[in-house]
Amino acid sequence: MNMIHNLPWLFLLLPLVVAAIDWVCLNKHPRLAATLSLLSAAATLGLCIAYLTGLQTGTPGVYTWMPCSLEQLCLHLGLVMDPLAMRMMLVVTGIGLLVHFFSIGYMKGDPSNLSRYYAGLSIFMFSMSTIVLADNLAMTFIGWEMVGFSSYLLIGHWFNKASAADAAKKAFITNRVGDFGFLLGILLTLGFFGTMNFADMAGKAAGIAPAVLTVTIVCLFCGAVGKSAQFPLHVWLPDAMEGPTPVSALIHAATMVAAGVYMLVRLQVSMGTEAFTETACNIIAWTGAITAIIAAIMAVQQDDIKRILAYSTLSQLGYMVMAVGLLAGEAAMFHLYTHAWFKALLFLGAGAIIICCHHEQDIWKMGGLTKRMPLTVLCFMMGTCALIAIPGFSGFFSKEAILDAALSKNPVFFWIGAGVAALTTFYMLRLCIVAFMGPARDHGAEHAKEAGFTMALPLVILAVMAVISGYGFIANDLVPFNGFHAHGFALGLPFYVSMGALALGILLALAIYGLGGRTKDPLAGNCISKALRNRLYIDALYDKVIIGGLQQGFAHVMEFLDCYIIRGIICQTLVWFTVRIGYLCSWLQCGSLRAYTLVSAMGLIILILLLAYQF
Amino acid sequence: MNIVSTYTWCQFAPAFALVGLAALLILADALLPKLPKRIYAFIAAMGTFVAAYFLSNGEHADSFGCIASIATGLSILLAFDYTKVCCESIAGGDNEDGTGEFYALPLVACAGILCLTQARDLVMLFVSLEVITLTSYVMAGYFRRNQGSIEAGIKYLVLGAMSTGILVYGTAWYFGMIGSFNLGPETVIAALKGGVAGSPSLAIGFMMSIALLFAGAFFKIGAAPMHVWIPDVYQGAPTPTTAFLAVASKTAGFVVLCALALPFTQFAVPGSLIGKVLVTTFAIVAAATLLIGNLGAMRQTNVKRLLGYSSIGQAGFILIFFLQLQGPVTFFVCKYLLAYALATIAAFYAVAMVRTQRGSEEIAAFRGLGKTNPRTAFLITVCFASLAGVPLTMGFMVKLYSFVTVISVIQNWDAFCWLLPIMVVTAAAGFYYYFKVLRAMYWEKSQPGVPALQVPLCTSIVLALCAIALIYMGTMPLLTLG
Repeated sequence: MNMIHNLPWLFLLLPLVVAAIDWVCLNKHPRLAATLSLLSAAATLGLCIAYLTGLQTGTPGVYTWMPCSLEQLCLHLGLVMDPLAMRMMLVVTGIGLLVHFFSIGYMKGDPSNLSRYYAGLSIFMFSMSTIVLADNLAMTFIGWEMVGFSSYLLIGHWFNKASAADAAKKAFITNRVGDFGFLLGILLTLGFFGTMNFADMAGKAAGIAPAVLTVTIVCLFCGAVGKSAQFPLHVWLPDAMEGPTPVSALIHAATMVAAGVYMLVRLQVSMGTEAFTETACNIIAWTGAITAIIAAIMAVQQDDIKRILAYSTLSQLGYMVMAVGLLAGEAAMFHLYTHAWFKALLFLGAGAIIICCHHEQDIWKMGGLTKRMPLTVLCFMMGTCALIAIPGFSGFFSKEAILDAALSKNPVFFWIGAGVAALTTFYMLRLCIVAFMGPARDHGAEHAKEAGFTMALPLVILAVMAVISGYGFIANDLVPFNGFHAHGFALGLPFYVSMGALALGILLALAIYGLGGRTKDPLAGNCISKALRNRLYIDALYDKVIIGGLQQGFAHVMEFLDCYIIRGIICQTLVWFTVRIGYLCSWLQCGSLRAYTLVSAMGLIILILLLAYQF
Repeated sequence: MNIVSTYTWCQFAPAFALVGLAALLILADALLPKLPKRIYAFIAAMGTFVAAYFLSNGEHADSFGCIASIATGLSILLAFDYTKVCCESIAGGDNEDGTGEFYALPLVACAGILCLTQARDLVMLFVSLEVITLTSYVMAGYFRRNQGSIEAGIKYLVLGAMSTGILVYGTAWYFGMIGSFNLGPETVIAALKGGVAGSPSLAIGFMMSIALLFAGAFFKIGAAPMHVWIPDVYQGAPTPTTAFLAVASKTAGFVVLCALALPFTQFAVPGSLIGKVLVTTFAIVAAATLLIGNLGAMRQTNVKRLLGYSSIGQAGFILIFFLQLQGPVTFFVCKYLLAYALATIAAFYAVAMVRTQRGSEEIAAFRGLGKTNPRTAFLITVCFASLAGVPLTMGFMVKLYSFVTVISVIQNWDAFCWLLPIMVVTAAAGFYYYFKVLRAMYWEKSQPGVPALQVPLCTSIVLALCAIALIYMGTMPLLTLG
């Protein structure tokens, strides 16, 4: 077989085919559907490992999907196989496989249609792989929309629940806003770079005016703002927690929301950093920084275990975007990679806790879980340590890398990063103290038991990764970045500051929440807490001012135009003419043979006049 | 006059095979009256598929013939699922007497089409065309207990005879002007230069013959002004015959038109008078066809009649390809015909199924299918969506090529801008009337107590294959349109 060079296409085709089979044929056989999805995830992971350990199959073929006479307007589908893409694939398929496995335990006994659920997971794997392996922006965009679609399906998996259906809609529509900018950005890229292909973009930036570059990059960045839930489009991510928890772990923590960062780094690598003008960089870095801060602040007063994690995801994504804005793509990808493992761990741990507490998500109704489910809590604590960057855990290395980069480029971002680190420590310890220590505060927590094997195994594997993945000997081979090299660790200002932030967070959390004796939040009840619980009123602002005011006003104007000008004048005239011609036709078509012959004969005369008269 | 045959026996092998098969079947029908007639339908259909396979590649590859044979086979298979209505309308009740020929006749017509695609002169063209037409007359009026079918048969016969007359008259003019029946660029060039005598009046006479011949071809494809027979005949004729007329017979019409129009290739350059005249004629005919077909369809409530108008409208979009005169005209015509054939045949299967089980061919009979038969409804949706030209179906791709062609023609000739709005409006009208069926399936409730349709095996297979093919070719345009 000389088709072997097309082997990487299996990354896309396998999950796609499995999704189709699950969807169409296996509606009545959820177990079979689950097995198929699991096998496809395992197969893609195996393939990915094979490539990372040195399998060579040559360049995969490029498929011209939409041919066009102008070469640069053709839509090609091709795959990039550089370390950036392949190692990202390892994160996607690795966490994907664990999540598939975890889902078997998590979704057991769920009354909804599980074949649909696994089909959704598989179609997500397909879409995410498309983004990661895409060799041009058009293909990225296709994957981009497809992940949005699969995220919509999975958030709304329990569509009978109104809140889930609304959240799915919100996520989809909010992403639409960002995608509009992304599409503009792609068109601008095509216009000014003359290509959508990543491989051909290098060096083209030099000949383009900085203002144009800025606009292009900012438009492309809009896509990342939507998909990676950056301020001001961050509102959909906390609501997306309505979906099943394994979905939150895979899509809304580890992979899809990181796609924005991946896309920006991919652009930085292929266009060269000179394409990212200073203005564009500032916009990107500040967006990331603002997101990191406000998300961390809002997380402080959340009670729902998944929402706390969601805000922490937002804030960590803010870190990554900030790093991209500081032109430190290497640090951003490092953090993306460690974050993927430990955040998936935290979400899956939260999922196990939720299931074992009989679908209880409020941390104030938990408590005392350390004794009842020690393994889960231990794994969760590993994830927490990595997230709050305790030295020796993976998160520490990557956060240090970002802080280093910030200090060398712009100290303001360094101090913002340090502040967010203190807040992170505080709210994560708050979660752990309240949920795990002290006495059980509700029946669910009282009767909690250790999670079953299918849930425990992924937790343990992820916990191991959360600890070790930051060390150089692993990171050098696995961090999705071309030629990544872990920097030697040095004592210095960044280290002392982050240790200070860590200590500050721990002390504050212990001072306020003690060792789990409290039954309600001592910080609650004042106006600040209320504002934080209401997400700083940003959602309300969108609802009232942008949707209720601006959009409705605009809609009224458009409705007037539509009703009176378009429908009233233009359409009615067209309809009048069309209907009259229709009448004429049916009048000719009266059923009488004589009339038919007459029409044909007249037609023939016209035809002869047309063709022969002019000679 | 020296007649030298330019044909080889080999060229007509598939046609002979089909005629032989038809003769065998008719003999068997006479000698073995006990045999279930469905077997004939099955054998006949398989015969056309085998013919299509031999035509699909190799030395005698012939895409028009291939499309026509597959379409014929599918319309015979349609009769297979339609036996109940066939028996009722032919001998009455469950009696199968006299239904055997109904399955064998399309084979003869198909053989006619296969000869037609090989024709390089007017005699061959005329004879093969008459083979198709004469068979079609019989098929259209075959349901003798059904008034509509008889009316359709008569109307088709009278109007068809008129068109044959025009064709013969045109052939006579052709021979009279240039002393040859040959179709080819050399003949055309010689004729337009005034022949040996160099007289300008010869060109006028030649164009007169071309006009008459075009009229004959337009009759077959249902282009204005020769479209008048289509709605009545399509509605009245037995559904399998309608499917045959709508696809296979229309393919034959386009073969004729290609044979007549394409020798003018080298006059396609802007500035030549003859080129301008031809392109103008095609533009006007296409525009009229588009308008009549698509706007006339909007008021229809009978699905067969609607599909009749739709076939006129689609012919308009195909005629657009002839405007370029040059380039891969036959290629695009073939692709469009393929998309049209797949979707239209599937639509007729759906109509036949609904007619057999709900007793009506009105759009209203499709009500509630989305609820009772969701999968079948989806397949029907794909076919009608393709006819309307929804993206990701083949119908979209070919319609797109039609638009691209018109734009390039407008650029080349710096004229005919008015064609574009007409195409846009008529394509939009298409969405309106095709979606009437979909609206009935999904948004309108059926009368209470109407049971779900039992989808016959053949119908489900054909619907699924057509829908899959349409989507596949719509999403992978390079493989099919490259």
